[in-house]
Amino acid sequence: MLAYIIRRIAYLVPVLFVLTVVVFTFVEMLPGNIIDTLVGSEGVNDPEVRKILEKEYGLDQPVYVRYAKWLLRAVQGDFGMSLVTRRPVAVELMSGIPATVYLAVVGISLSMLIAVPLGTIAAVKRNTAIDYTAQVTSLIGISIPEFWFAILCVLFFSLYLGWLPSSGFANPFVDPWASLKFLILPAAAVGFRQAAYTTRLTRSSMLDEMNKEYVDTARSVGLSEGKVIFKYTLRNAMIPTITISGLQLANLLGGTVVLESIFAWPGIGRAIFEAILQRDYPLVQAGVLVLGCIVVIMNLLVDLTYRLLNPRVKLG
Amino acid sequence: MTELEARKFADLEAIRAPTLGGRLARWRTALGNAWHELRKSRTASIGAVMLVLLFGACIATPWITTYDPIKQNFRERLQPPSEKHLLGTDRMGRDIYSRLLWGGRRLVTIALLAVTFGLSIGIPYGVLSGYFGGKVDTVAMRFVDGLLAFPGLLLYLLIVTLAREWKMEGIYNDMVLIFALGFAFTPEVARLSRSSVLVEKQKEYVEASRAIGEGSFAIALRQILPNIVSPLIVNATVRLGYVILIVAALSFLGLGTPPPTPDWGSDLAAARDYMETAPLIAAFPGLAICYTVLAFNLFGDGLRDILDPRLAER
Repeated sequence: MLAYIIRRIAYLVPVLFVLTVVVFTFVEMLPGNIIDTLVGSEGVNDPEVRKILEKEYGLDQPVYVRYAKWLLRAVQGDFGMSLVTRRPVAVELMSGIPATVYLAVVGISLSMLIAVPLGTIAAVKRNTAIDYTAQVTSLIGISIPEFWFAILCVLFFSLYLGWLPSSGFANPFVDPWASLKFLILPAAAVGFRQAAYTTRLTRSSMLDEMNKEYVDTARSVGLSEGKVIFKYTLRNAMIPTITISGLQLANLLGGTVVLESIFAWPGIGRAIFEAILQRDYPLVQAGVLVLGCIVVIMNLLVDLTYRLLNPRVKLG
Repeated sequence: MTELEARKFADLEAIRAPTLGGRLARWRTALGNAWHELRKSRTASIGAVMLVLLFGACIATPWITTYDPIKQNFRERLQPPSEKHLLGTDRMGRDIYSRLLWGGRRLVTIALLAVTFGLSIGIPYGVLSGYFGGKVDTVAMRFVDGLLAFPGLLLYLLIVTLAREWKMEGIYNDMVLIFALGFAFTPEVARLSRSSVLVEKQKEYVEASRAIGEGSFAIALRQILPNIVSPLIVNATVRLGYVILIVAALSFLGLGTPPPTPDWGSDLAAARDYMETAPLIAAFPGLAICYTVLAFNLFGDGLRDILDPRLAER
C-alpha cells in the first residue's frame, strides 16, 4: 500500500506540470503584455519607461525562465496583486474558499440523503412504478441545466411564494438562521443535480451486488430480506457511490462558478468569474491554479480511500 | 479459370465495387437492422425519435421559421404566444420561435463538430498508445492523466476569455469553442479506446492479421478500431448532451457568443430581467436545452443497454 501511495503521489507531478503550464500560458497568450494589462487603456507611450518596466517584470528574459520564477513564487503563495482591489491575490482567493466549501459540502450531503435511499428502493423494487419514477426523475435531473433549475427555483420560492431570499450570503457563525435561508436554494440547486447522478449510481451498484452469490447464500441460511439488504448489499454498493460522490465533490469545488454567480454566493468560483469580467488576470490565473490543485488533491484522496475501502482492487 | 474460381472472383468484385443499387440495399439492411436493435430498448427508441425531430428541425430551420431571428421590432415587445408569433416575442420584439430554432441549429452544429474533433484525435491517440504499449504507452497516458485532471469548466473559462481578449467574434468564436470542447473530450476518448485495445489485441484475429503480414499501423487502425467503436459511440452520444450544457452555461454567463446571435444560454440570461412580468420567455430556451440534452442522454443510455447486453438484464 505504501509503495502504491508513493507511486500515486509521483503521478501528481505530470498532472501539476500540465496544470501550471496551461495556467501560465493563459496569461502569456493574452494580447499585448502584462504592462498594458497593468497600466490599463492609456498604455505606456514613453519607450524608456516601457523598457524599465519590462526589465522590472522580467519580460526581457526567455519564457521558461519566467515560468520558473512564476512557479517559484506561486509555490510560496505569492500570486502578485489584484489589478482591481490592489490587494494580494492570495488574500482575495482565500476569503472565497470557506463559502465554496460550505456550499459544496452541504449540497453533496443533501444529495446523498435523497439519492441513497431513493436508489436503494429503486433497485429493490426493480421494474415497479417507484423504480420507473426514480429513473425518469434522475434522467431529467441530469439533463436540466443547473442555471435554469436555479432560476426556476428563484422564480417559484422567492418571487412567487416569497419564502426565501433570491440571492446573498450570511455567515453561519454570526447569524445561523439567516445563513440557512440563503443556503437553501443554492444547496438545493447543487443537490438536485448531484442527487440525480447518485441515484442512478446507487441503483446500478445495488443491482450489481444483489446479483452476486453471497446474497443467495445469505438468503438460504434464512436471513431476513431487510438484513440481507441493509447489512450486506447496501454496504458493498456504497463503495462506488461514496467514491463517485467524492469525485463529484472535487468537481463542485472547482466548478460552482455558474451557481455562485446566480446566487451572489461569495465563493472562489464567483471571484474568478468576476475577475474575468473585470480583466483582473492575476486573480483569474491564481484562482484557476488553486481550484485545479484542490481538484487534483481531492482526486488523490478519493482514490486512496477507495483502495482502503476495497482492498480487493489490484494495486496497479 | 474454373467455375468456382470465377464465382469467387465475381464475389470479390461485388465486395470491391458495389453497384449503386447494391449499396443502397446494403444501407437499407443496415438501417433496418439498426432500427430492429433500437426497438429492444424503450429508452433508446424514445431518444431516437426525439433526436430525429431535433435534427429535422435543425436542418429545416430556414424553411420553417418566418422571422429574422435578430431583427428587432419594438412595437411588438414581450408579446405572449399568438398566431403571429408562435412562442411570443422577447424584450426587443424578436420572434422567440425563430430565435430558438436558429440558436438550436448553431448549438447542435457546435456540439457535433466538437465531439467529432475530440473523437478524431482521441481515437488514433488511444489506439496507437494501447497497441504499441510499453514506454510509449506510459508516457502517452501520463499526459492524458494530466489533461483529465484539469477541471473542465475552468479550462473553457480560460479559453473563452482568451477568445474575448483577442476579439474573436462570430464564426471564429464558435471555432474556438469547438476546438476547446473537442480538445477537452480527447483524453476521455483516448483512455476509453486504449483500454478496449488492450483487451482486443490479445484476441486471435490480431494474431492472424500479423501472420499474413499486415503492418502494425494497419492492424491497429483497420482491424482493431472497428471492434472497439461501440463504447465510443455511447460515450460520444452522452458527451454531445454535456457539450450542449457547457456551451449554454458559458453563454449564460455572458462569455459565449455575444448578442444579437440567437443563443439559448444568453437568451435565457437576458430573460431573467423579465422573469416577473414575462416568465415564459425564460421557459422556452430552458425547455429547449432540457429537451436536447435529454434526447442525447436517453439515446446514449438505451444504446449502452443494447450494446452491452450484460447491463440490459438489469
